[in-house]
Amino acid sequence: MERNFIKELDDLKMTLLNMAALTHRAFGKATQAYLKRDETLARTVIAGDREINNLELKIDQIVLKLLALEQPMARDLRFILGATKISKELERIADQAVNIAERSLFLCQHPPLAHLPAMEQLIEVTDAMLDAAITSFVEDDTQKAIKLRQMDDIADKHTLEVLQALINNMVKSTPGAEKRILNTQRSIQTIIISRCLERVGDLATNIGEHVAFIVEAINIKHQKIDFE
Amino acid sequence: MEISPKFTARHLDFYYEDFKALDDISITININEVTALIGPSGCGKSTFLRCLNRMNDLISGTRVEGDVRLDGEDIYEKKIDVVSLRRRVGMVFQKPNPFPKTIFENVAYGLRVNGIKDKKVLKDRVEKALKQSALWDEVKDRINDSALGLSGGQQQRLCIARALAVEPDVLLMDEPASSLDPIATQKIEDLIHELKKNFTIIIVTHSMQQAARVSDITAFFYMGKLIETGDTETIFTRPSLKQTEDYITGRFG
Repeated sequence: MERNFIKELDDLKMTLLNMAALTHRAFGKATQAYLKRDETLARTVIAGDREINNLELKIDQIVLKLLALEQPMARDLRFILGATKISKELERIADQAVNIAERSLFLCQHPPLAHLPAMEQLIEVTDAMLDAAITSFVEDDTQKAIKLRQMDDIADKHTLEVLQALINNMVKSTPGAEKRILNTQRSIQTIIISRCLERVGDLATNIGEHVAFIVEAINIKHQKIDFE
Repeated sequence: MEISPKFTARHLDFYYEDFKALDDISITININEVTALIGPSGCGKSTFLRCLNRMNDLISGTRVEGDVRLDGEDIYEKKIDVVSLRRRVGMVFQKPNPFPKTIFENVAYGLRVNGIKDKKVLKDRVEKALKQSALWDEVKDRINDSALGLSGGQQQRLCIARALAVEPDVLLMDEPASSLDPIATQKIEDLIHELKKNFTIIIVTHSMQQAARVSDITAFFYMGKLIETGDTETIFTRPSLKQTEDYITGRFG
């Protein structure tokens, strides 16, 4: 007979995976809303955030119950602690997706800025990071989790490139005060989106650190990793 | 600071007739530390505990091979006086077992057996032992009442006082709180924390939480073998062997 505790641990894992899937989808929709200037998609991201928040609350409830009633040990204990931390990171990622969607709604109202290749690269790498973070959790793959650090450096690089391109855009002479204001507004909104993406990269890296803690009982937070 | 060993067991085997209950146990137990022995029923942890003050000698058909040393001295050597060994290595059992005598006489019992007759010495040693076992304040006004009138938790602390009265170095505890309610259990656990300042304690427990709470070192036994030993925090958060992890997370046993 399977212990009830094992079933509850499975339930916790399934809830977390469900939250991860919804968060990843919200992030994907938010970035598509930005790229394709799709207001409807942006609104679905904003509307869907409540479901993710509710899952975070549900995970907190399950964790509290397991800690109080089961006194878990070793890997179970690490998994339960890791699950609360991962759910916090996912909830913050979902908030960043909402932020991206809200900025995209503004940008959809106005003509597009010039094409920004660094922004597309930033979206690509942060999406890959979120995917790697979730996969590392599903597959207990610490190596994948640790490699997120490397990917995060690439994300940071692209964020700086976006910033530089948009600063250049703002300082270049635009005829007419009204156009100048609009140009600055669109540039700042886009910079905010790039900061959200960069933050998603950081949060995905944190998830990788929690996975390493769950699987290997090692703490790689705030530590230099030799990738060689 | 280097921690000195109190007990060392090397390649210890123990047999009940033909049944090998302990298989090649090697472990070092440090002075003034609490070592918890955990493992499923029949794994050999209580047998090992009883090897440490030769309580198994009382069971016929048993045999010991290997080496157990207390302060470097082989306790299975012929010249060893077992009564003196058991004075140095006291024991507390699962169920409180006070004698049907007064509280005073229960604690004084071991002292009288050891030939102490001076009333002042007896009185002082009984008081000291009852204070060490955190029972003095509860019984000082009825020291000549029957010990059987005490609650289960008080009786167990009385048994601890009885063991402490003869001033041992080591205290062996075989599931000392398993018949007690949570409050009495907590008192025993608090007491263990206090006692480890002056005594080396080895405790057998079926409660994983108790082992985690009271011990410095945890040793996991399974089917007569010592599977893993380590500091308690490591054993309960990141044991190195899967077998240990499976046991402490309740996957078997």
